[in-house]
Order: sequence, then structure tokens, then C-alpha cells
Amino acid sequence: MLRNALRKDLLLNARHLWGILPWFLWVAYAMSEPDAGRITAVGAAFIGSLMAATIGAREDKLRTTATLASLPVSRSVLVEARYLLAYVVGAVTYLAVVVMAAVLPWSVQRAAELVELRTLLLTLTLASAAITLMMPLVTRFGLLGVVLVLGAFQLLGVALMVAFELFGKRSAAGVFSTIERGISDLHRNLDQPVVILETVAALALATWLSFRLSVFLAERRDL
Amino acid sequence: MTPDCALELRGVRKSYKGFTLKDVSFTLPRGVIGGLIGPNGAGKTTIIKLIMNLVRREAGEIRVFGLDNRSAEIEVKSRIGFVYDVPGFWDDQSLDSQRRALGAFYPRWSDETFRRLAAEFGLPLEKKYKALSHGARTKFALAMALSHGADLLIMDEPTAGLDPIFRRELLRRLSALLQEEGKSILFSTHVTSDLERVADVITFIQAGDIVFSLTRDELLDGWAIVRGDDRVVRELDASLVKGVRQRAFGVEALVSDRDAARRMVGARAVVDRVTLDDVMVLMAGEARHAA
Repeated sequence: MLRNALRKDLLLNARHLWGILPWFLWVAYAMSEPDAGRITAVGAAFIGSLMAATIGAREDKLRTTATLASLPVSRSVLVEARYLLAYVVGAVTYLAVVVMAAVLPWSVQRAAELVELRTLLLTLTLASAAITLMMPLVTRFGLLGVVLVLGAFQLLGVALMVAFELFGKRSAAGVFSTIERGISDLHRNLDQPVVILETVAALALATWLSFRLSVFLAERRDL
Repeated sequence: MTPDCALELRGVRKSYKGFTLKDVSFTLPRGVIGGLIGPNGAGKTTIIKLIMNLVRREAGEIRVFGLDNRSAEIEVKSRIGFVYDVPGFWDDQSLDSQRRALGAFYPRWSDETFRRLAAEFGLPLEKKYKALSHGARTKFALAMALSHGADLLIMDEPTAGLDPIFRRELLRRLSALLQEEGKSILFSTHVTSDLERVADVITFIQAGDIVFSLTRDELLDGWAIVRGDDRVVRELDASLVKGVRQRAFGVEALVSDRDAARRMVGARAVVDRVTLDDVMVLMAGEARHAA
């Protein structure tokens, strides 16, 4: 059944996943820029996972959520397939950037750098963050779930602008530099066995909790 | 569970803001066509969604071929062919892609049956769903529902939006399914003439309550319309009168026992056969009056 659910998404929602193509146009261009390999690969996996995790919003819009729920398959399997698809799409898009870095004639990237464990784990962390956040929201609210996340980011942007106006440039810049520092620190420390273990355990736990929450919400949603 | 029941609902309850489905109970025997009728907002779609476990019931029990529709959900759904009032499919995908993707979920799916039905219904399999008319969309939903060997067909307003020719053809096909393959069918509709043509059992729902669930013969041969002046109609036993409406020439009363009504009014009033339209109009009118 899991295989059928995955196949269904690949057959019927492929168009939604093709939404990542514009990113690859930029990736192709960025391959000529020094040090662009990591950011484009991590970004591709992040966006790819996000696209797959938001398929539910498209199905909600098309009113196919109820059609799926009337099939002889449990809602938990449908949710499980969606999580699996999100991770697979993240991995495939990452791999696509690695291949582009290796084969595009104008690429100045070192593909080997992109398959370092540290970079892979950082990518997994960011992709997991996208999946674990979006899946429960989309499962419960459908398209509205995506709107809620976009709205939250919009509010965050407004809050940063207000902070910029009230407390000066440094306050807003501080937020971004903190995020950047956090990601850089994580990336730097991801070669230590303890940090690797902790990171993998934390990601597994976060994904499991998010999955259980999504199943709980899916099973209780009136369609 | 009653033996030989395709479907049994017992004390099923579901509340929404401003609407409650109140302890709904009825059965659909195997091998019959059941019709669910009632005014808009009566709860027909909610009942169908509850059977399909698309909405969660708050109380009661729903059994399909003796199986609980929640604990045995997968087996139950594999035996049901389901058609929505507004079918939901993937707009930008061809009918054939949807057949490949969705058919795989059913253990008894038959591509051969699907292709035969698609040809009979004139469905262009290579076309995208969004290019279809409303009628063709319903036909596609029907072809999907009829292609996996379902033992029970559940359809919410399946004839809405269909032209009269295909509507008749659909009803003929449903009757044939029943006779040739022993399937059971439950469908909701506003088109009462459809039910008069094919339904064996008719369940009337109003404001979340099941008002009656009777065989077509019990209803159409047993019930009657009494037409006469106000005084005569008032003499009828109140327990028999299910609805009354004032007309220009006098009063019409819907009664649940034609013979008893004849005995009561004699030649002072006309006792006519009832139609499902009469039942709907008079009972809905009575409910408004009572409210």
C-alpha cells in the first residue's frame, strides 16, 4: 500500500514537484560562481522537500483529499508515503546538484565537497526542519497550512522591519547573523562523532514526533 | 448485525455547528437498491460521509457486510464503490493516469472493465480531467467506482448534472448490477422520479432525523394523499397524518395507511396514490410548520 501511495503521488502530483525547476536554472548559473556548490545543493534539498511536503495543499485545492480518503488505504499510510516522498525528493534534488557540479562544463565546484558527511548532515537537518514543520500544518489545514506559514514569515519580516526602525540596523542584522552563525557552527561541528549522533537522534525524534502528530491530525480530520 | 445486511447504521450521531444528525439507524439489505431522500441540508451527505469514514462519528455503530467501518476500514472500502456529488480528481492529469494511480489500491481492480465502461460512457482516456464537462466527470467517477468489483455502491447525488438519456441508462445499469451480480446500492438524490424507478428501499431524512425507512411498495402502495375539505381531513386519525398542506380547492393530507384513510373519509374525500414528490413536499412542509 505504501508503494501504491508513493506511486500515486509520482503519477498525479509530478507537476507540483516540477515547481522546483526554476531553482535548477539558478543552480546551473551558480555553478560558475566559486563556493556556490554547498548553498545550491542544500537549498535544492530544502526546496525539494518543501515542495513534496506541500502536495497536500494542492490536493486540498483540487478536492482530492476526500477521494484519497475513500480508497482502501489507511490515512496513516498516506501520511507515511508523503514523509517518505519528501525525504526522497530532497535526496534526489541534492544528488542532481552534485551531478550538475560534476558535469557542467562551466562548473567550478568540487563535487566531492558536496558529498562530505558534514554537508550531508546539514542538508538533512534543514530538509527535516522543512518537512517536520510543514507536514502537520498541511495535513490539518491543507492549503491554509501553507498560507499560515507564509503569513508567519510575513509577520516575522514586519517585526524585523519594525526592529530595524526602532533599534537600528544592527538589531535586524543580528537575527540573520545569529541564524547564519548557528548553521555555520552546526556545519563545523558535524565532524565530531558525538555531535553527529546527537544530530541524527534529534532529527529522527523530531521526524517521528511530526509524523505521529500528522497521523493523529489526518485521522481526526473531517473531510 | 442483522443477517444479510449490506449496511447497518445504529444510533449514529454527528454534530456540526447548527446541525446534528440524531441517532440515525437504518439498514440496507443485501441485493437491494436503497434511496436516501430529504430536503437540502437534511444530512444525506453527512450519512454517506460517515459510512465512508470521511467524517468521524460521535456515537453509534456502522457496519458494512458485518464489518465495522472503522476497525475494518480497508476491507470495507475495498468492497465499496463510491461516487461523490462533486467528484474530486486531479485536474491536470489524464483519465488514464488517474486510472493507473488509483486502480492500484483495489485488490479486485479490472482494467478491462474500466476500459469497457469508459468506451460505453464515451470517456476520452487521454484527455485531462479539467477538459471534461460536469456530466463526463460524473461518468468518470462512475467508471472508477464500477471497475473494482465493489459489492456495495454508495453514490451521493449521482444523477445530478447528467442528461436524461444517460440518467436512464445509469439507472438501467444499476438495476442490472443488482439482478446479474447481486450488488447492493445506496444513493442519495433529489430526483425522486429516479428513486421511484429503481429503489427497493427508501429512507427519508429530515433535519438530521430518519423519518422513515420503508420499501418502495410499502410507501407507494401503503401511503396515500387525501384531498378534501378541511373538516373531513381533520377527522383523520392524527397518528396517520404525516403532513398537511392547504390548496386552493381544500386541503391535502399525507397519510401512512391508505386503507384506514379510505375507511375514515369514505366518499367525502379523494384518496390518491402517493408519489415521492408528494412525500417530500408534504413532510418537509410539515416540519417547517412544526418548527
